[in-house]
Amino acid sequence: MMKTLRHKQIQFWVYISILFLFPVLFLLYKSFTLPMRYETHLHAHFTMQGWVTLFSENQLIQATFVSLGIGAIVVILNLIVGLTAGYALAFYDFKGKSLLEALILFPIIIPLLAITIGVHIAMIRLGIADTWVGVVLIHLVPTIPYAVKILRNGYTSLGTAILEQAYVLGPDPWQRFLSIDLPLLKPAIRSTIFLTFVISLSQYVITAIIGGGNVVTLALVFFPFLNSANSTVLAAFSIWFALLPFLFYILIELLFLLLPYQKPWRTRS
Amino acid sequence: MKKYSLFMLIILLLTACGQSNNPNTQSIDFQHTSWSDITQKADSTTVNIHMWGGDEGINRYIDEWVAPKLKEQYNITLNRTPMDTQNILQKLHSEKRAGKQEGTIDVIWINGENFKNAKNNELLYRPFRDQLPNFKKYYDQESLAFQYDFGTAVDGYEAPWGKVQFVFQYNSNKIEEPPKSFEELKAWVKDNPGKFTYPNPDDFSGNAFLRHLLYQSADSPESIIEEPFSKQHATKHSQEMWSYLNEIEPHLWREGKHYPSTLSELDRLYSNGDVWMTMGYNEARAEHMIEDGVFPESTRSFVMESGSIGNTHFLAIPYNSPNKEGALTAINFLLSPNAQLKKLNPTYWGDNTPISIDKLSAEDQEKFQSLDRGKTVLPGKKLEESFLPEADSAYVEWLKENWKNEVIRND
Repeated sequence: MMKTLRHKQIQFWVYISILFLFPVLFLLYKSFTLPMRYETHLHAHFTMQGWVTLFSENQLIQATFVSLGIGAIVVILNLIVGLTAGYALAFYDFKGKSLLEALILFPIIIPLLAITIGVHIAMIRLGIADTWVGVVLIHLVPTIPYAVKILRNGYTSLGTAILEQAYVLGPDPWQRFLSIDLPLLKPAIRSTIFLTFVISLSQYVITAIIGGGNVVTLALVFFPFLNSANSTVLAAFSIWFALLPFLFYILIELLFLLLPYQKPWRTRS
Repeated sequence: MKKYSLFMLIILLLTACGQSNNPNTQSIDFQHTSWSDITQKADSTTVNIHMWGGDEGINRYIDEWVAPKLKEQYNITLNRTPMDTQNILQKLHSEKRAGKQEGTIDVIWINGENFKNAKNNELLYRPFRDQLPNFKKYYDQESLAFQYDFGTAVDGYEAPWGKVQFVFQYNSNKIEEPPKSFEELKAWVKDNPGKFTYPNPDDFSGNAFLRHLLYQSADSPESIIEEPFSKQHATKHSQEMWSYLNEIEPHLWREGKHYPSTLSELDRLYSNGDVWMTMGYNEARAEHMIEDGVFPESTRSFVMESGSIGNTHFLAIPYNSPNKEGALTAINFLLSPNAQLKKLNPTYWGDNTPISIDKLSAEDQEKFQSLDRGKTVLPGKKLEESFLPEADSAYVEWLKENWKNEVIRND
């Protein structure tokens, strides 16, 4: 028994190193060295050029904050829609429920660009094209289906019993949500936050069209560089790009600590 | 009832906003506006230039040189936004359909297919080029390169900003004497299996490589350039090209089973030493690549004796630009000898100038002629001699479609 556990552990670390650690470290290494060429492949040439280029992009810092802000709002809206719709889909029975569930998945099935172009005209008429409001709304299109799906499954596995129990004990709905739903749904909420943030961060075309260049997110600065053969700059950009969800994740984890029953120093005995 | 009234409110909002078109399109009457009035109106305004942003040399040229100069000379704030031209046109198209008269973009960088699309859909502001003092003074008004953009008549809707020519790059450590013709290239490819390939024609540069072959395949480049596009004409003149491509295919990189899908993929192969040649528009592109350590120091460039295709790229103003005076002033500045000289300089961009050198002052002529574009750039005379204009842009699509049938499915 011990042996297989140990075996499994080794296996785990081998997979982690091959699939995760090595690529990330290699990217980091690439961002500090000149592109590998057959003449130079034995000794790496250290360079700061990738990072210098990155920070000489004068819109970088601002774009990072814009991306962070838009991402955060998109995540919050997703949680609101996802939690309420997920709850309804998990616990209520009504006519046309399966149809509604299928409809919610539609935005992933229909090409996003087609939706965007149609929505753009409506947004121009409403006066929210070229604004961050429009960009937030269009980012909801590819994210909401995931949020609803994940949180619906979260509620389904939670079951009605514990929620009914709370109902019987009679706290107000908000308190019930904070002390029962939120802590127990934490894994589902965590995946929703991470997934929707990453999707929102990496939207290039729809942000460009709806934002019209007035809303410059990180994707707008970063994506044109994908056409570059300069792997040093590309690596530096990619790391910066990946850092954002990572930072956001840490922030969210810190926020989670504020929830009831989440004290990290309370260890299970 | 409550729900119903909310629904009605939304409907009302949607329809009401559709009608609020601004009748005042604020176009400038050039006949009655002198250039100094235009620059005066442009004073302390902001000009938004939307352009492809994937090259740091170009970005730095705009941000570090052009923007401060415009501020200094005209008190204009230039705001660069990275955005692909196709997306810009998509945005303008929707705005046109929604009747939006006040846009957000003042200047766009455009040519070829995109220009044709923009012009045909009336996404551009009316002809303005011939009003620019710098264009009138320093550019050859009659030049065919400014009259047609990939076969589409320019009609003054765009002003020439730069020009590029297609060149091949090779590693002079591996190849002593680069091929001079496509026949020699074929022989070289056969002698050096796996050391050459070209990007898939879905890529802009890969498509240009095929167009060179097409010119060669026809009796003379003129028969392709001057005739309007027709499928029969294209098919008739392309037989030799397809057989050439099929002949070299087994000797290409990975035996031609896979083609790089973009030029950057080919550049990476070249950078790794997997292939010994790469290619691309912009005769000076190797300079940057060497400086950044992507290409080996021994990279040099060459053109075929049969010629090299070049094209001009332009600046235009969208129909709903909110600051047309500012846009005109900025474009005029970008066309000035000073701005063109700086653009030619390899420290930033290294892009060639469409300006007529002989129209410049003796001092400026001297500056242009003495500028060292770098050792990988062919002499100006050589480039000029081999220059071939672009054919009708319909060939680009035609080549994409037929290449798959003729070369890929023909295995």
